Amino acid sequence: MVTINDTLGVPREAPKGRSFAMPFWNATREKKLLLQYDPHSRLYQFFPRAAGLVSGRRDLEWRESPGRGEVFSYTVAYRAREPFRGHEPFLIALVTLDEGVNVMANMVNCDLATMTIGLRVKPYWHPLPGGMHLLMFEPDR
Amino acid sequence: MALRDAAIVGYAESKIVEKSDRDIWELGAEILESLLVSTGFDKAEIDGLILSASMTGAGNPFWSQTTADQLGLELDFCQIVDIGGCSPTAALARACAAIDAGMATTVFCLYADMQASENNRRERGMQEWIQPQGYLGPPAGFGFLSRRYEHQFGLDYAMLGKLAVAQRGHAVLNDLAVEKLRKPITVDDYLNSRMIADPVRLLDSVMVCDGGSGLLVTSRRNAEKRGLAKCVVPIGYGERTNYRVRENIVDVTETGHRVAGAKAFAQAGLKPSDIASFHPYDDFIIAIMIQLEMLGFCKHGQGCAFIREHDFTHTGDLPLNTGGGQISAGQCGLAGGGTNLVEAVRQLFGEAGRRQVKNTKNALVTGIGGIPYGRNWASSAVMILTPNA
Repeated sequence: MVTINDTLGVPREAPKGRSFAMPFWNATREKKLLLQYDPHSRLYQFFPRAAGLVSGRRDLEWRESPGRGEVFSYTVAYRAREPFRGHEPFLIALVTLDEGVNVMANMVNCDLATMTIGLRVKPYWHPLPGGMHLLMFEPDR
Repeated sequence: MALRDAAIVGYAESKIVEKSDRDIWELGAEILESLLVSTGFDKAEIDGLILSASMTGAGNPFWSQTTADQLGLELDFCQIVDIGGCSPTAALARACAAIDAGMATTVFCLYADMQASENNRRERGMQEWIQPQGYLGPPAGFGFLSRRYEHQFGLDYAMLGKLAVAQRGHAVLNDLAVEKLRKPITVDDYLNSRMIADPVRLLDSVMVCDGGSGLLVTSRRNAEKRGLAKCVVPIGYGERTNYRVRENIVDVTETGHRVAGAKAFAQAGLKPSDIASFHPYDDFIIAIMIQLEMLGFCKHGQGCAFIREHDFTHTGDLPLNTGGGQISAGQCGLAGGGTNLVEAVRQLFGEAGRRQVKNTKNALVTGIGGIPYGRNWASSAVMILTPNA
């Protein structure tokens, strides 16, 4: 079976977050996952937006999430652009968090035999230059 | 109704090439000249210009205006449509609307892009959420979609291969298709082609090329006045952007074509079994199957069974992308939606030569535009055309 790269060796840059997404990125300094929550529609949402998906209101809350969930779908990347070129194949998953949002992330500590839709996962925080962290997932064994 | 009052009186298409050494305005001039020659219209009669989105044009925020200047067009109506692969079909719908509203009489729809040789795009989108993950864009998005489809319904990849083989056979018959792809393939070639974003293979995917196409649209009355008996009339159109965007988690195997298709069929007074030839937007092979389901040719999840039972070659019972589709003719960047649209018009004009379909009662064309985060696609368009109805 193909050996999957965990992408931890990929030289990533710190993302330039949009103004309304900075609470998310700043919380990753402490390896905390913050999700936007819209008190008007009582729904979480991801990725962070400037307003509520349903209500259109801007007074959104940030709530901490344990980051647990299950794999919604995934792909094995055999082709990639820089800086991932040469690090293929690697896994990209869409994970449904228990709060009911889908998050796209790389998988670590997970081989192809383990990877499946429905797999329970937990967060793995990978350090980025400048002190922020990137949310990844690993199997929640 | 607005749509039926407009008529496509001419179509034009360039050779699709892997990388062009020509400027995009030279390509635009070629399309325009071809339309003027084939229709007999005078250039001064064109009072509307609608461009599809273009990666080459993406560096110029005055794109339609500058292009009109380069081509020497004096206009009452001028715009660009920026909904990705839906843009060419959507441009045609907007041309009909502009004519109906009296904003223009004769509209030149120009679909040109030199993405392979001159891509001026500057990213301003989802980078912070997809770049650190090594997300390749559309192939990865369709990887998620295909895996999820397989999980929900099962997926016989040989049936996707059957579609790929039928389209490739059509590209062999199309002198304008990119030469690199004009070689027949087998289902085994499809199944054994290398993985790009597993389960998406190389032969599932489009190759970005350079090229373009265009249409000349005028009012039905004007077409009749000029004695242009040969024309094509849009009789149904639906478009949906951000289907179910207010929901966080959607079934990625269900798309906006469900609603756009229902609207187009209702306007046309037709049902899927009435469709004579099918020209869906094809960025990845599975998109064709999902559109068959969403448009109601078969039930959701039954695409593979439907493909097994039908013949998609130009002599078959449901001819599919008879020019090869973008996957086998080459994708002219963001103008690629024009390739299948113009092929449908060519078929209804009865000018498809070696690949002419028998039944030219109508043709159905679609668009797919944009790949959003964790969903299927951003825009879905459906257009039903008939010969001078």
